[in-house]
Amino acid sequence: MGVSKGDEMLINEIKAGNKMAFEALVLKYTPKLMSVLTGYTKSKDHAEELCQTTFFKVWQKINTFKGESSLFTWIYRIGINLAKNDFASRFSKNSMITERLDQDRHDFPEYRSPETELIAAESESKIMQFIQSLDEDTKIAFTLREIEGRAYDEIAKILNCPIGTVRSRIFRARQLILEFMNQENIFNG
Amino acid sequence: MDKNLEKMSALYDGELSQNEMQEIITEMDSDRSLRNAFYKFGVISELMQRHSDQQNSKISYLQNYYRKFNPLITNLATAAATVLLTLIVLHQFDDDRFTVNKETSFQLSSAISSDQAKVQLLNADQNIMDHMIQIMQSNQSNKSQQLSKNWIPVGFSVSPNNPNQYSNGKNNLFFHLENKQLGIKNVKYFKANNNWIYLIPLKDGRLLTAYGDIPPSIADQMIQSIYQRN
Repeated sequence: MGVSKGDEMLINEIKAGNKMAFEALVLKYTPKLMSVLTGYTKSKDHAEELCQTTFFKVWQKINTFKGESSLFTWIYRIGINLAKNDFASRFSKNSMITERLDQDRHDFPEYRSPETELIAAESESKIMQFIQSLDEDTKIAFTLREIEGRAYDEIAKILNCPIGTVRSRIFRARQLILEFMNQENIFNG
Repeated sequence: MDKNLEKMSALYDGELSQNEMQEIITEMDSDRSLRNAFYKFGVISELMQRHSDQQNSKISYLQNYYRKFNPLITNLATAAATVLLTLIVLHQFDDDRFTVNKETSFQLSSAISSDQAKVQLLNADQNIMDHMIQIMQSNQSNKSQQLSKNWIPVGFSVSPNNPNQYSNGKNNLFFHLENKQLGIKNVKYFKANNNWIYLIPLKDGRLLTAYGDIPPSIADQMIQSIYQRN
């Protein structure tokens, strides 16, 4: 699977120097990357550090991204390679990687790093239950997007409705989930 | 605010035009709440995908298990089994409208948690699984079955291409009739995305299976009608 149309536009903006587009990319992919890195390192603090370094590398190397894989696959590879190198360096007492990165940080945009708070397992379960309770039309559109990764036009064909309806149903699902998270005081960072 | 949030949602999915994307990214720069919402979209997405991956790993475990006990099944049957397992594992039984037997659902949950229960599940549900696979394959078949007109929901008519398929122009419904009930005592139904499968044990000892994009609101009337006239 190659890069999606939306990510391609985001990448083009970043390549053109749009720092807010880079921040959007960071916001979009931090949760997934943190999940992977936390699983790998078993440490939230360590994962956060690696996450920031990964996005620094992404900023540095964005011009080399050819779109042969999805954007997240590319980011994931960078993150995992950094984690592996970091793991190895802890044993060889070699801190060269971190030092070398720090020297190049002068052109790195000062993006506002999100609060990488982790959701407690109990709250995860509540959110998943809430998603199950969404009305059928909303839940189906949202699931087709989030789980199956379908584009809006594909979902519109499957559900036999206009693309605008798909867009508003998916938004509605997200809006309701956000409201639920606020009500339940889940992740208000 | 809601309009901007809706645009953020579309931006998250990569479904904005270049101009819209530039506009909303500019808005994001000055609006912390939009940035927070965008980040939370990522949190929700990660959560959903991780739970889906966990479910899929259960499916592939059950699929491998099923294949091990049925080494002669065809690729088509394997695919159908995957669909079936996906239906069962990802979408639990709905039990708010019919007297649904929760046993199968319970057994599946148990199956995932213990080896002994896995054996029990697959033994207990083997007939149902085989039946479902057969149905999925038979939907491709044009062999006519003796379906009572009373079973067909109002407004549905038979498809010219398949005597077992009925449509009201919007929804499609396939029927399959079996001479055994596979131990099913009450109506059971499964759902996956916008499709439902209803297993309806008839009083004469046969099992009617209805499959299609017919929600319970329509199927409820159909099933009541079947029981009144059967």
